[in-house]
Amino acid sequence: MDVLGFAKAMDDLFDSSLNLEDAHYKEGYDEGYSHGLAAGREEARQVGLKVGFEVGEELGFYRGCVDIWSSAIQLDPTCFSPRAKTIIGQMEELIHNYPLMDPENVQVQEIMDSLRLKFKVVCSSLHIKLEYNGYPKSSKEANDIQF
Amino acid sequence: MELKEIQRLEGHTDRVWSLDWNPATGHAGIPLVFASCSGDKTVRIWEQNLSSGLWACKAVLEETHTRTVRSCAWSPSGKLLATASFDATTAIWENVGGDFECVSTLEGHENEVKSVAWNAAGTLLATCSRDKSVWIWEVLPGNEFECVSVLQGHSQDVKMVKWHPTEDILFSCSYDNNLKVWADEGDSDDWQCIQTLGEPNNGHTSTVWALSFNASGDKMVSCSDDLTLKVWETENTGMQSGGGFAPWRHRCTLTGYHDRTIFSVHWSREGIIASAAADDAIRFFVDDNESQVGGPLYKLLLKKEKGHDMDVNFVQWSPGEKPLLASASDDGTIKVWELIS
Repeated sequence: MDVLGFAKAMDDLFDSSLNLEDAHYKEGYDEGYSHGLAAGREEARQVGLKVGFEVGEELGFYRGCVDIWSSAIQLDPTCFSPRAKTIIGQMEELIHNYPLMDPENVQVQEIMDSLRLKFKVVCSSLHIKLEYNGYPKSSKEANDIQF
Repeated sequence: MELKEIQRLEGHTDRVWSLDWNPATGHAGIPLVFASCSGDKTVRIWEQNLSSGLWACKAVLEETHTRTVRSCAWSPSGKLLATASFDATTAIWENVGGDFECVSTLEGHENEVKSVAWNAAGTLLATCSRDKSVWIWEVLPGNEFECVSVLQGHSQDVKMVKWHPTEDILFSCSYDNNLKVWADEGDSDDWQCIQTLGEPNNGHTSTVWALSFNASGDKMVSCSDDLTLKVWETENTGMQSGGGFAPWRHRCTLTGYHDRTIFSVHWSREGIIASAAADDAIRFFVDDNESQVGGPLYKLLLKKEKGHDMDVNFVQWSPGEKPLLASASDDGTIKVWELIS
């Protein structure tokens, strides 16, 4: 090797020592990033599965109730009060408009909230309490102070 | 000014939460009547003897609610009594020949019902609960009640609901520190929150326990865990007259008069504000006609220390020519008072 070549080789030698910390950092970062990406994706999949199930369950529940109620109204229009019939109709429309395949849609919470309230009104009108295991409640039972 | 104790009524076997004077009594020879409700799960009806002027318990409404009865309210006609309970139901009672019968049960709230109120015409009923919602019910023929709307808006336990004295506008107050105003926006069952009075509006900084309107309905007073009374006002000349809804705004705050939570407040027809607090005292406030610019618009008229042996939960002025004050306490008693100058 000539002098310049040797100097360059020496530079490279020292370069890799000086940049050792940077190199290790980058290596670690890359490794962490790809692990994180995979773990995050898996966790998000689990969350999506859970939320998707819950939304589907609640929407399906209302769908089932509305179907039965609508059938009952067809058989006997007087079995429900005019107000209850109007609200059942409104629920039908809300269920129809729910963007099932677009969970990021800004309206999802609003539509679900509206469905919940209307469902309460109809149940009250029928003097029944309908729910399923896991039906969303407005407050936690145990810890609230009662005055 | 002196607050004279007319009578101390015992009977309830647990704290007395609230009471309500029957608005159809106290005139034309009809003896004054009020209902009280308690942690003992019962409601008691008290009637004044016209000759002695003393009260006696005429009826005990029991074996219906399975938990504390938190609030009670007579319909404007005085014929029906609504009772709100921690058992999540609201019962409607009718006086049938001296006996009170439960003629209807309003179900739907998820948990404890805290308050019940009738509108001025007696055509609507409102209830509120720890489930954070306010329900509006329509009074139908045959003592039937149908839920018109379930209103979600408060983020915490709703403590009280009260209708405006002349308009079908509903007010609610909550553990979330806010007062909310609700009205039917469209022509049918479209109840919405039309105003929120919170900290940005000079509102309370802790739980708002109660509210009360003055006789003309253009002012309202609210009381809170933040140890203040706040007076609010509106220019509303009436929605019926086509004036539309005029927003409420803060008029003044009464600070420094209470050092414990104020649980109840009631504005008399004569303009005297009575407050009930956790320090066992009852206080009275009136308009301060000589108030300085920027100073408080109301002054303390009288403080009755040790009005009860424990927290005073509720105070209310009576109907009738000579207004009396009834107070309910954690000590299990009710007292009837007269304010004398």
